[in-house]
Amino acid sequence: MSAVVADALERSFGEVRALDGLSFEVAAGELYGLVGPDGAGKTTSLRILAGVMKPDAGAAYVLGRDPMSTDEVVRSSIGYMPQQYSLYGDLSVEENLSFFSKMFCLDRATYRERRERLLEITRLGRFTDRRADALSGGMYKKLALACSLLSRPQVLILDEPTNGVDPVSRRELWALLFELVEEGMAVIVSTAYMDEAERCHRVGLIHDGRLHVEGDPTALLADFREGHGDDVTFEDLFLSVVREAA
Amino acid sequence: MRRFLIRLAALSEKETLHMLRDPQVVYLALGLPLVLVLLFGYAVSFDVEDVEIAVVDRDHSAESRGFIQRLDESDAFDIVVALETEAEVEPLLRRDEVKAALVIPRGFAKSLLRGEETRLQLMMDGADGATARIALAYAAAIGQAETEDRMADAIGGIEPPVQARVRTWFNPRMESAQFVVPGLVAVILAVLAVLLSALTVAREWERGSMEQLFATPVDRLSVVLGKMLPYVALGLLQFVLVLTLGAWLFDVPVRGNFVVLVVAVTLFLVCVLGQGLFISMVTKSQQVATQIGAVSAILPSLILSGFLFPIENMPPLLQMIARVVPARYLIVTMRAVLLQGRGFEQVWPSLLSLVAIGAVIVGVTTMKFERRLD
Repeated sequence: MSAVVADALERSFGEVRALDGLSFEVAAGELYGLVGPDGAGKTTSLRILAGVMKPDAGAAYVLGRDPMSTDEVVRSSIGYMPQQYSLYGDLSVEENLSFFSKMFCLDRATYRERRERLLEITRLGRFTDRRADALSGGMYKKLALACSLLSRPQVLILDEPTNGVDPVSRRELWALLFELVEEGMAVIVSTAYMDEAERCHRVGLIHDGRLHVEGDPTALLADFREGHGDDVTFEDLFLSVVREAA
Repeated sequence: MRRFLIRLAALSEKETLHMLRDPQVVYLALGLPLVLVLLFGYAVSFDVEDVEIAVVDRDHSAESRGFIQRLDESDAFDIVVALETEAEVEPLLRRDEVKAALVIPRGFAKSLLRGEETRLQLMMDGADGATARIALAYAAAIGQAETEDRMADAIGGIEPPVQARVRTWFNPRMESAQFVVPGLVAVILAVLAVLLSALTVAREWERGSMEQLFATPVDRLSVVLGKMLPYVALGLLQFVLVLTLGAWLFDVPVRGNFVVLVVAVTLFLVCVLGQGLFISMVTKSQQVATQIGAVSAILPSLILSGFLFPIENMPPLLQMIARVVPARYLIVTMRAVLLQGRGFEQVWPSLLSLVAIGAVIVGVTTMKFERRLD
């Protein structure tokens, strides 16, 4: 069974059709990249899968359940890191972590143990007293990631997690994602960086709310090179998909 | 239930931290009550004192001089000029040099001595209707007292068997501040509570933290109550501040049960905080929420609450609307407890009304609060 299923999702905002029958699936232990230009529908689809937005039509399933459910099991099984800054900027690293742990009702011992581990892997241990607003872009994203991992989710949904993050922090963040995937987590990540897309197990190229190409990035690139020569890059593949769609 | 309480406590704690770390909130919460108490306490006065009056004594008798002296001794009037003829009065009134004029006709003393009906003429500048009405009442009371004294003299020092005397209880000197401060508590609490709570939810929408919150298993009621509790505490602090200032500066007494007041203020705060949260949830913008919040808090609590204008004198439609204005019930309770020394036995209907209004507001706000982005 797929950990995450997007089944013919549709969603409009006024006249704008953000999602137009988008379907894809992600398995446990898989790192799935959602790639597309701005306005392709990446954020909307991730919001629906994270259960913070309702689709107009189609259905989303996370571990076979409706992600909108307020059931503790469902909510705790989804880790979500929105694209925009969404922590409490006037609260410290420690206060943010502690607050979200209480939203998941973690007991004190569990929280302490997970906090130690998360601070270690995000290397935020030295900054626990710093307010979230005063963190650098990379550190902020790591804190957001730590908050979304507090409930030990089986599915992790990250909306452009490396946007505005320096190269070193980006590398660290991706290393962390691979670790999580190896532990069996299903990770969906949206990105506008082609090098990141290439590192995913599978990618879905979306444009105008529809999935145009999907598959193993290495295999996709190999196929594309057969028709376009060995010099073309994944970015060329992406641009060609966007051009064809337009 | 245990999970509900854990989340409620965490949300309240977080909200308290937001509050304490935002100096604007602290200034607004403690500064505004101070300014309003001073402004309303000193500037808004329904007391009529030292109304400038001209007297025209055409009788020149001991009796007429006695009456004029009595008038002058009262706090209400201040005799600024003595005139010879009635014709001189009008120019003075027109030039606003006096607000009133008393004419004692020729033959005043003679009529009095004969026991005949005696008439005095009082001319009043009616441009300021409220002052005129109160000054007229004072003048009538002075005339009444004079009459009673004369009757007593006439029947040989024995008091007349029936006397009509107006005596104001609970606020014997009819001082405005004593009347205003209890009402002011409702206005200050309403304005601050609606404004601050309207900002809090809108801020979460604008800053994006609502999205992260929705990704957790938090329930709607926890969010609503979690945002409310710290502001209830802040509101009670403001209440104590205003009451202390009122007692210190204007001698506003606390005659009744203080616990009743705390209960009433807490219930009232739940109503107005709910109102602010509702506005905030619907508008999702700090700017719009502030504007709607200010209007919806200030107007009803100032106009439809019985603070400045008696509700009984309003048209039926406004009287109906006033039934659901929480400030009205708080003001009634405050005046009853502070000035009349009443307790639970007398004010429970008002408290019950606050419970009902609060329950509806919190219920509607919670239902309106959808755990998802649009």
